[in-house]
Amino acid sequence: MNALVLDGFRGEEGQGVLAVLTNALAQAGYATEVVVLREKTIAPCLGCFGCWIKTPGECVIDDDGRAVARAAVRSDLLAYVTPVTFGGFSSELKKAVDRFIPNISPFFARVQGETHHQRRYRRCPSLIGLGVLPQPDREAEAIFKTLVAHNALNWRSPRTAAAVVALDGTSDVAAIARGLIEAVAR
Amino acid sequence: MTEKKALLLVGSPRGIEQSTSGRLGGRLLDALKERGFETDKLHVHAVVRSPTETERALAAVAWADLVVLSLPLYVDSFPAPVIALFERIAEQRVGAGRTRILLIIQCGFPESEQNATALAIAECFAAEVGWRWLGGLALGGVETYGGSAHEVLDLIGKALAEGRPAPDLAANKAMPAWLYRIGGNIMWRREAKKNGVARRLRAKPYAD
Ligand SMILES: Cc1cc2nc3c(=O)[nH]c(=O)nc-3n(C[C@H](O)[C@H](O)[C@H](O)COP(=O)(O)O)c2cc1C
Repeated sequence: MNALVLDGFRGEEGQGVLAVLTNALAQAGYATEVVVLREKTIAPCLGCFGCWIKTPGECVIDDDGRAVARAAVRSDLLAYVTPVTFGGFSSELKKAVDRFIPNISPFFARVQGETHHQRRYRRCPSLIGLGVLPQPDREAEAIFKTLVAHNALNWRSPRTAAAVVALDGTSDVAAIARGLIEAVAR
Repeated sequence: MTEKKALLLVGSPRGIEQSTSGRLGGRLLDALKERGFETDKLHVHAVVRSPTETERALAAVAWADLVVLSLPLYVDSFPAPVIALFERIAEQRVGAGRTRILLIIQCGFPESEQNATALAIAECFAAEVGWRWLGGLALGGVETYGGSAHEVLDLIGKALAEGRPAPDLAANKAMPAWLYRIGGNIMWRREAKKNGVARRLRAKPYAD
């Protein structure tokens, strides 16, 4: 099983949490690739829908965004790791996530009573979100969890789980990381 | 209200003129201008590309006492460049304690409720930087709206100019979601055909 971990931090501040997560993934038997998004050239999505109607399945921008989207499709587990930013994802993470829409079909589908898209690929990775905050913030945490769950509907992820850890020493990061991996295990 | 300075931030990569976000936001800005506001507008994707432009954008944000952010929903939240600008605003706490923010958000799916997470993120941003949250107009399936969104924006402009809070609005269009989905699927096929890729719409370039 392969896991793709996206490091959405602007600097090194996420290293500790990332190490704990990658360790837990290794223990659960995953071969893990970590993509440090700040070191990649990923232009923002142009909003042109070329990835659906001009070059179906691939973004029209030829940069690292394509390789990250490809790696995401080929993984069994996709993990977003990000500073919780106004309850959501950092701009570093989001620039990659916006470039994932080539991986779904333009065609609409009804999913859990809402409109979403059909799958492009038969197999889709499960999705976990691990948000990091300086100290606990229940409101931001609730938004973050909703956001990850809703992303999973858009990507048609078979399983999903999200958690937020605080860096003030109040969170048992290892237990939380293990919990996320167990939540998406078959 | 002493100041009447409104800044429109257009958060669509398609630009101020071409995007639905730009057109809706521009309409509200016109409604405000008619009522004595000084106005300015910025295309967020253009300004975050360079540090000098970003500095100019932060100065424009500091100038405004009302920020209208008009943007498309991108994967349940803001397009990445909008988050990037907001990270900078939050770092410097630009306009803390005096700026008001109103959101106009619209999405491709016909359910306006799908904008809820993005609205919550905007409200969380406002709380973090110390801006006053005025609420937002959330629209779904905008392509089928015609003029009705514009009328709503005129009402919001009037309320803001009179110092009343803008209403929180979620507007759903008349078309049922299932019909919207069928129409949308026909539209994608037609667009792909124009590009000569109708038969490749379900291509799987990354399949292993
Ligand atoms: C990368 C990307 C992600 C999108 N994500 C969503 C989404 O999660 N939900 C939705 O309803 N529409 C989504 N859309 C559709 C846009 O919100 C919609 O087309 C919008 O009307 C575009 O407005 P604009 O012309 O101002 O850019 C997405 C579009 C793009 C390009």
